Amino acid sequence: MLSEKEIISTLEMLKNEHLDVRTVTLGINLFDCVSHDLNTLKKNIHNKIINVAGNLVNVCDKIGEKYGIPVVNKRIAVSPAAVFGAPFSASQFVEIAKTLDLAATEANVDFIGGFTALVEKGISKGDRALIEAIPEALAETDRVCSSINVASSRAGINMDAVLIMGKTIKKAAQLTADKDGLACAKLCVFANIPQDIPFMAGAYLGIGEAEAVINVGVSGPGVVKKAIDRAIASDPGIDLGRIAELIKRTSYKVTRVGELIGREVADHLKIRFGVVDLSLAPTPNVGDSVGEIFQSLGLLSIGVPGSTAALALLNNAVKTGGAFASSHVGGLSGAFLPVSEDLNISESVRAGYLSLEKLEALTSVCSVGLDMVAIPGNTSEDTIAAIIADEMAIGVINKKTTAARLIPVPGKKAGESAYFGGLLGKATIMPVNNAEGSNRFIRFGGIIPAPIQNLTN
Amino acid sequence: MNKSVISVLGQDRPGIIAAVTATLFKLDCNIENINQTILQSEFSGIFIASIPSDLTNGELCSQLTGALAHLNLNVYVKSLEHKEEGFESGSCEPFIITTIGPDRKGLVAGITEIIAKHGVNVTNLKAIFKGGDNPTDNIMIYEVDIPNDIDQQILRAELMKRASELGLDISIQHRNIFMSINRI
Repeated sequence: MLSEKEIISTLEMLKNEHLDVRTVTLGINLFDCVSHDLNTLKKNIHNKIINVAGNLVNVCDKIGEKYGIPVVNKRIAVSPAAVFGAPFSASQFVEIAKTLDLAATEANVDFIGGFTALVEKGISKGDRALIEAIPEALAETDRVCSSINVASSRAGINMDAVLIMGKTIKKAAQLTADKDGLACAKLCVFANIPQDIPFMAGAYLGIGEAEAVINVGVSGPGVVKKAIDRAIASDPGIDLGRIAELIKRTSYKVTRVGELIGREVADHLKIRFGVVDLSLAPTPNVGDSVGEIFQSLGLLSIGVPGSTAALALLNNAVKTGGAFASSHVGGLSGAFLPVSEDLNISESVRAGYLSLEKLEALTSVCSVGLDMVAIPGNTSEDTIAAIIADEMAIGVINKKTTAARLIPVPGKKAGESAYFGGLLGKATIMPVNNAEGSNRFIRFGGIIPAPIQNLTN
Repeated sequence: MNKSVISVLGQDRPGIIAAVTATLFKLDCNIENINQTILQSEFSGIFIASIPSDLTNGELCSQLTGALAHLNLNVYVKSLEHKEEGFESGSCEPFIITTIGPDRKGLVAGITEIIAKHGVNVTNLKAIFKGGDNPTDNIMIYEVDIPNDIDQQILRAELMKRASELGLDISIQHRNIFMSINRI
């Protein structure tokens, strides 16, 4: 028999604290679609995606209704396109992207990830063609997401790839200048990319994964914030150790929801269940914000001194609680700080509390890096590449995932607003300080060697 | 040995269970199940016991009534019926139906009319109507078994419609979500 308290607190999380399943992402292996003929490849890709994912949205909606928990987004992640499309040229890769887009539209999912290349140690012919195709592919499709892994703790940082990505981001922004550089919102540059991320833009189906797999991304910043607020209200003398314990317990609950829904969707589709990604993922709604948690923890705003320590506490507590709740945890599993997608973080930038430099510092204790950061349109490709390189270095040295999703908003300056719409939100453009002059460092190229794996200080 | 069901109702105070069970022990009855609850200030307890073959329900009832007189309790005793004569549920899934909304007459009757119409069995019910604005002060929680062979969509639609007519916010969720979140 359930207690009243158990039922009421669960309802409260669902109705007033925005607890939901942020995404159920179906990974599909496309390697058996390969062909030397582009049309055959496209046909195979389309058929396979529709065949495997045709029922995904229906099943997610039905199970969401059964438990009274909405599955907000249904998504698809495929094998890295640079591998299964290796024989093709850049213009042919644009065709492949359009095929993925069409299949995603027909399967009624909001995004499809996997327009991906893994180039941390070197760039193959297929990788190069895919990267060259990215600006046009993302500008001419709505749902395709792209991710490029340019660094890892075992391989180091491929600075040639970093520079190419600086150029690619710049070009992608220009091709979508009328939409504030929207294409860049669908492009993520990674260090140590996990093979099982359910969240976009980084989702792809890793090479070591099964034929098809269901990964789940839970949400819950609102639940964590309300739990902290309630605890402080009932006991103003509470200390940080107990607050961490409380976040841990809350994270446990959130994770259990993800695992329950994910396993049932997987059972229905007769597909293997993969992982729950424990990330606290915000949306541009009041009460669904990671930034607000900083204020509940007593800081004026995210970005002020103390923010990095607060984030470290939050992130570690979320992981600890989640790891107890599920034995299958993966993906990014950390707090997200996507600037435009979180109303509170976006406002902190506008008010001047959060700078690019502080955001970079914050990313050293959480996933997932400089996410949805709008920067001035005239930021040079070298500077973009240099910002990426800095972010990659944090990931590589600390043996964690970091990423950069930077949007140089064409024709706009620091302090102006950029609008991306929907979940992608809106952002105040951050200034990039001290970026004048040439950047010789970024143009040396080559590989920054991998860090030593002992002497860890 | 026959089995009897004993129901005890009256104002709550210390010593009720002690008095009932002492009498049952004295009469050589063996208790198999007890459940008790307190609503506001009223005690209600239900006991199932096997009783000696020479003890009738009438005799048991009068012994208990006498022993409990100082506690001002009502006692009712009946024989336990064989299970096949009672309700037998088929294959079911456990759901929790929760309603939140201001108190008025006919809320429980309104909701249970729909539940009963679809052959759904209520296994546990708690309803609190204290008035005021606090949602948790005006709540009904039904634990129900929904048969697998009924059209759940129609049940849901009818419950939603009835809840909205009654000014209630209703949720219908599989029990596992509460178990998963709250229990290790």
